[in-house]
Amino acid sequence: MAARADADGAANLRVSGPAGGPPGPAPGGGAAVVIESVGKTFRRGGRRTVALAEVNLEVSAGELVCLLGPSGCGKSTLLRIVAGALESDTGTVSVGGKPVSGPSADRGMLFQTPMLFPWLTTRKNVLFGPKAQRSAGLHERDDPELDAEADAILRTVGLAGFGDAFPHELSGGMRHRAAFARALVTRPSLLLMDEPFGALDAITRVRMHDFLLSMWEQYRTTIIFVTHDIEEAVLLGDRVAVLGGRPPGIAEIIDIPLERPRQASDIDTAAFLSAKRMIRASLTV
Amino acid sequence: MSAWRTLPPLGDDVFVEESALLPGADQQDAGVEIDDGADLAAYRRARRRARARRLATGGAGLVGLAAVWQIAATLIRDPVFLPSVTQTAQTFVHYLGRPYPSQGKPLWYDALISLRRILVGFAIGAGAGVTLGAAMSATRVVRHLIDPVIEVLRPLPPLAFIPLFIIWFGIGETPKEVLIVIGVTPIMAVTTVAALDEVPEDLRLCARTLGATSLYAMLHVQIRSALPGILTGMRISMAGAWTSIVAAELIAATSGLGYLIMQAGDYLNTALVFAGIITIAILGLTLDACLRGLLLLSDPSRRR
Repeated sequence: MAARADADGAANLRVSGPAGGPPGPAPGGGAAVVIESVGKTFRRGGRRTVALAEVNLEVSAGELVCLLGPSGCGKSTLLRIVAGALESDTGTVSVGGKPVSGPSADRGMLFQTPMLFPWLTTRKNVLFGPKAQRSAGLHERDDPELDAEADAILRTVGLAGFGDAFPHELSGGMRHRAAFARALVTRPSLLLMDEPFGALDAITRVRMHDFLLSMWEQYRTTIIFVTHDIEEAVLLGDRVAVLGGRPPGIAEIIDIPLERPRQASDIDTAAFLSAKRMIRASLTV
Repeated sequence: MSAWRTLPPLGDDVFVEESALLPGADQQDAGVEIDDGADLAAYRRARRRARARRLATGGAGLVGLAAVWQIAATLIRDPVFLPSVTQTAQTFVHYLGRPYPSQGKPLWYDALISLRRILVGFAIGAGAGVTLGAAMSATRVVRHLIDPVIEVLRPLPPLAFIPLFIIWFGIGETPKEVLIVIGVTPIMAVTTVAALDEVPEDLRLCARTLGATSLYAMLHVQIRSALPGILTGMRISMAGAWTSIVAAELIAATSGLGYLIMQAGDYLNTALVFAGIITIAILGLTLDACLRGLLLLSDPSRRR
């Protein structure tokens, strides 16, 4: 109920919940990620395909790093290893100092499609995580409290009044924002985004870029963002890790010297173009 | 025609009447200003109106069929060849509570007998089929073991088994129920496997990254997600069950709607034949409506 009283939903989401609330990161930050000499080989019918070899990457807390590369360069594989959905053959991944084993609510994930549960309303989609955690005995918050929190976060992502709508009743952009709210409500210290806006039309994509940037400015969760779009990588990332080569790995890590806060219209600036040129050069090498 | 059949999803690119807009709602509350001028309640009202129009059109189709039937019967003027709608209705009411033939059972009793056979056979068949399908979807060995068995059984018309079941199970209720089970089980197994396979792997991963345990994700996401597909399979196999049971009653039974129709046909009581057929149609529609209701409950995106 305390959450509802505060009109500015964004601010109070960082305030840790009442006693017995879900374990969340310390307010105001995400976790650092350390990826050390990670390698992955797929075996199918006696044929071995090296998907990743000797990948090293350190992401500091609250940083937004883009993984950029063409299809099949192993960027999604890397993301899934960090998520805990895939096990690497070699190397280790740790998030916030703890080694990754299996998926966890501490590492939220957003997919190419919003992956909303079509049988649940937007509010219930958002509450899927908290309720699943409650059934696992991780907290004992009651329904009215959870509903209030869901409504607060829906306001934050601009979906006030759509808590009772089903996913199929929402537009593409709204679905992605609902998925974002659902991932945020469990207070992950790391967000893994796998080409989340790849299937959207160009105009909605621009809006989602602004949305993501403004959300990230507020939450400062660590984000690893997978994309094959150079402009998107430059616009969003503090750094861009270019994947490629044979065997596939991180070819180069490029700092993006653009000022924060950024917005989608920055792509017309000279600084943006020069950053883009840098990336393009490293891709063609 | 299709303009009202499917309304586009809500969003910035949807035209919404001025009066339906929520004035400045998101400027106050939302941290970001993107689309969403649309009002959910107004959107749903429009959709309900569209559905009412569609139902009215469907009703008009049925009334049209009855009218054509009545006109044809009036022109032919031979109640043995084609009784009119009114004659059929009168016969229906007449025999609803009176036995036919005179030493037999009334219509409601035969209807109940058929319904009972359907429900018992369907419940067993659907239970077995879903269990089998779930096992096949979960375990590769079970799938490879059972798949050919089902593929052999599935194209066989259940009616071919009637003589066999009479030899095995006698002439009581058992052979009729087994007949339905034989028809329902393979369809339910196949549709259950398809429905479970169709659930994207990432949907479960998504649930896991939201903090669900593996078991919770299986129950609340994978199985829940397959539910509409399984219910669709039930609608298909329910229709098949009616075909089987009526055919079995036509051939080898002393009760049930199929038997009643056969008797009425033998005595050239055409109006009663029609009454029996219409009873089957009503019962079939009712059971299908129940399943459809469950389907709509389970899958909101079908509520159009």
